Amino acid sequence: MPVHEAAAWRLSDSVALRPERFGALAYDFHTRKLSFLKTPTLVDVVRRLGESTTVGDALSGAGVDERERAAYLQALGTLADGGLIEERSP
Amino acid sequence: MTLAPTRLIDQFERGLDAPICLTWELTYACNLACVHCLSSSGRRDPDELTTAECKALIDEFERMQVFYVNIGGGEPTVRPDFWELLDYAVAHHVGVKFATNGFRITPERAASLAATDYVDVQVSLDGATAEVNDVVRGEGTYDAALRAMANLRDAGMKDFKMSVVCTRHNIGQLDEFKAIADHYGAQLRLTRLRPSGRGADVWEDLHPLPEQQRALYDWLMAHGDQVLTGDSFFHLAAYGEPLPGLNLCGAGRVVCLVDPVGDVYACPFAIHDRFLAGNVRDLGGFDTVWKHAPLFQELRSPQTGGACTSCSAYDACRGGCMAAKFFTGLPLDGPDPECVKGNAADALAGDRTRPGGSRDHSHNGTVRNAPVPVTLLRRRPSAMCDENPLA
Amino acid sequence: MEYVNPNLAAASAEDEAELVVEDLVEDVSIDGMCGVY
Repeated sequence: MPVHEAAAWRLSDSVALRPERFGALAYDFHTRKLSFLKTPTLVDVVRRLGESTTVGDALSGAGVDERERAAYLQALGTLADGGLIEERSP
Repeated sequence: MTLAPTRLIDQFERGLDAPICLTWELTYACNLACVHCLSSSGRRDPDELTTAECKALIDEFERMQVFYVNIGGGEPTVRPDFWELLDYAVAHHVGVKFATNGFRITPERAASLAATDYVDVQVSLDGATAEVNDVVRGEGTYDAALRAMANLRDAGMKDFKMSVVCTRHNIGQLDEFKAIADHYGAQLRLTRLRPSGRGADVWEDLHPLPEQQRALYDWLMAHGDQVLTGDSFFHLAAYGEPLPGLNLCGAGRVVCLVDPVGDVYACPFAIHDRFLAGNVRDLGGFDTVWKHAPLFQELRSPQTGGACTSCSAYDACRGGCMAAKFFTGLPLDGPDPECVKGNAADALAGDRTRPGGSRDHSHNGTVRNAPVPVTLLRRRPSAMCDENPLA
Repeated sequence: MEYVNPNLAAASAEDEAELVVEDLVEDVSIDGMCGVY
């Protein structure tokens, strides 16, 4: 599921996000799947999603530079596929 | 900025600041007397955590963000406050999965469980027929388990678990177990018999034979993600491709056990002073035990393979299960007693001292649903018979 | 049969300095780790 920079997303209600040394663990209480977010920056992006107007704003706010955007959008896509983040109205 | 590749498994081996999940044995009391009980349960301990202490522990789990607890025992539903504690945990953002023999999963209870989010149920069954099951678990236990699963299904509970301990006598019934689970809309879970608790007394007779381990491995590889294993068969990874899962011993690193009197052990299969990290009633509570117990620091430090390091399969099997080695009297830095390469054969045949259990809460009087007498084990289990619900 | 460690195989693929984008998310089944019921 592609996540577009112009869209608005947020963390799903059934997900618990737990910071770790290496990033964070995200546990979805509905699917019982555990996801490992490998960088603190990605955790920051995910945290900002709900309050940012767009995904692009969340990325900028977390300090993700141009070269890394693709990797972060891909990661968000993985989270979206797993249902950990969901699209919302802007 | 370079993205440093990291694997979750490496982070897990070093331990986390809080468990991901843990096993919480709520009581040593049980209405049954299964021959292989890993916690030697039966009689309640007079010193079990009170309702208030249990709630305080749940509060700690919430603060630490333990994602969920696997509640077991004994039989957790025999504790009068079980349902209250379950609701309390859920209200405090701690998911619950509980293991049960099913006797108390009435239609009413099933309906209430089906309506509760963040609760999962795991019904125990160790034979696809009463003939195989009841020898191990007790008379009437097969019927009780199926009745519980029917109640859960009828109440609309989806994807609850049916958990089977694999033994010499039920390895031939794997397809039937899958069929039973499918029939009730449950997910099949197969787990490893460990020589823990009363399991130590029956392990020689019940543990799968080498050719059965191979058959089990092949069956698990064929059924992939549909069947859960709790990663309990990571020692079988030495056959070739690893089974789905992390293939990691989580004991003391990402999981642990809290027992009915608040003792914290590395894992539920290791209830012995050797693996006792502390007690939740100690100053600093569970959090302090988890973060600072010397036993856990030791488990989180890099482990050497000892005698296993020269084996080509070590990367896959990591020397197998520490509890299995400990309770069969084998050295912890050597092969697993069920090493698929047969590397433990000499040690098993030679001199060894089984350490025995530190805690025994087994019934010492008559039990209503006692395991069916052992003479039936002499006969091979028959194929689908009249007792099969699908016949 | 020669045992091939799948983790080592994956690591060597990552060494190729091309357009391989390291996945920042790793999913794992919570049932896949030994030590709980």
